[in-house]
Amino acid sequence: MKVRTTFSYLLLASASFLSLFPLFWTISTSIKDRVDTYTLPPKFFNFSPTFKNYHSLFSMDKFWEIYWNSILITFGSTLICLVLGSLAAYAFARKPKFRGRGPLEGLMIAVRALPGIVLLLPIYKLSSYFGLYDSKIALILIYAGFNLPFAIWLLMSFFEQIPIEIEESARVDGASNFRMFTKIILPIAAPGLVATGIFVSLLSWNEFLIPVIMAGENAKTLPVLVASFISNRTLDWGPMAAAATVALVPIVLLTVVIQRWLVAGLSSGAVKE
Amino acid sequence: MVTKLSGPRATSKRSKGKNLRPVAHFTVPTWIFLFLTILIPFIYGIYISFLNINLASFLPASFIGFDNYLNVLRAPETWSTFQITLVITVFGLLVQIPLGIILALALHENLRGTKIFRSILITPMLLTPVAVGLTYRFMFDTDLGVLNWMLGLLNIEKVNWLGSQTSALFAIIIVDSWQSIPFVMLLVLAALTAISPSLYEAARVDGASSSQIFRNLTLPLITPTLLVITMIKIMDFLKLFDTLFILTRGGPGNATTTLGLWTYKTGFIFLELSRAAALGVIVAIISLPVYFLWRKASKGVR
Repeated sequence: MKVRTTFSYLLLASASFLSLFPLFWTISTSIKDRVDTYTLPPKFFNFSPTFKNYHSLFSMDKFWEIYWNSILITFGSTLICLVLGSLAAYAFARKPKFRGRGPLEGLMIAVRALPGIVLLLPIYKLSSYFGLYDSKIALILIYAGFNLPFAIWLLMSFFEQIPIEIEESARVDGASNFRMFTKIILPIAAPGLVATGIFVSLLSWNEFLIPVIMAGENAKTLPVLVASFISNRTLDWGPMAAAATVALVPIVLLTVVIQRWLVAGLSSGAVKE
Repeated sequence: MVTKLSGPRATSKRSKGKNLRPVAHFTVPTWIFLFLTILIPFIYGIYISFLNINLASFLPASFIGFDNYLNVLRAPETWSTFQITLVITVFGLLVQIPLGIILALALHENLRGTKIFRSILITPMLLTPVAVGLTYRFMFDTDLGVLNWMLGLLNIEKVNWLGSQTSALFAIIIVDSWQSIPFVMLLVLAALTAISPSLYEAARVDGASSSQIFRNLTLPLITPTLLVITMIKIMDFLKLFDTLFILTRGGPGNATTTLGLWTYKTGFIFLELSRAAALGVIVAIISLPVYFLWRKASKGVR
């Protein structure tokens, strides 16, 4: 038994090291001087930190505009997912059977199952026809469409935990469905809404395929900027690592906040807690 | 108050049925939204796969029937990229599922510090794939990469990781595994937690060894979850794009181009939108069986 415990610890510790090392390596590269980056053996701790890379990143043309785009699109699409998603998820949670449930669930799984590119080819064509190419609003809508099923599954698991008795007593008082939903259900499900909101934000924040196809200069998002470093002839790892860090750090901070819901959220749609 | 109580109570039975029904209408906004953002594009995609739209040409598109499909099915790239997708999928699954199970088993022992380990191990799956790809690209660098440096310590010669097909596929599978193993681990852990401890007790009383318990008790019980994971992973491999795009762009040549990336290239690099749409329909057809299996399986797990 002792051997097994030691083995487990060893396994978990080395896996943790492997999980964190790339993150550490990006952050440390982002605060290294060129000389310290382009050297062997690699410098892990023995360098003097500098913010040069961040300085050159932040002074990049349009950096802040792109950062703002990312925030705006993430926020907008998350809001849509929460409003539409909570309504639909409530119906799913409370009515096991209704007309149209099957097809809707099928559509939701299809969104999850289909590679984004299959939908984005026609979306690209349609939106350039309607003058919606490179529009932030179009991006918000597409992000929301792609993430809505995920939001519904996740919210559903939260709504199902609310005892039905609470609603029954409200019904006796004559509250309408919608009133009951907004005044009673949503406040109780608030933690679930927050958790879902954060998860959908993560998905939107990380999204790359949609903006790389649908965004030009006006609606460009952070992942597209990060990716654009790679196409430059000279690979300048410092600012690149700074850009990657700027994308990654908000996520790491968020995950610390949402530890409680992490497991439920990450496995939603696949298993039920 | 008292008079009111008797009134609504009489109607409450009736209004209960009436009240419950409108809840289904709460899905209407979702219907409309998914109709506009998903269903219409999908149908339109099928439609343009029968036209000859080229994004570089200004000629009006015309209907050409199944020509795009025939061209796509005749093109060697379609089959070679399909093969590459298959190779990545099979080897990816062979790496990710066993490692995910092992980590889940280690977490399931509920040792001290398990929560912290779990939080750390989950982190990779949350990170921006594009940024992850960049990080790994730096680590895989032939001259400056940490990986080659470490191999150098073991007196192994420098490898040009992203320069040849085999090593580049290897690198892609490593990066995808780094981000995907946590997902496998979490789902298996959820399945393990659902197994009643009394089953283990009984097995131990009967004198079963640890490996016997795993093979005859744990494994059969987590098999449904493993099937769900396999299906989701197959879909994810079909979707694989971000890290691939950053690491190799499908190169050298098309040596690491998957079917999904090939569809992207056809549409947005070679600008053959209609042909890409035909490829897209084929990709959708390939994912169809997995889709139905998932529908069935997710009902089972639920």
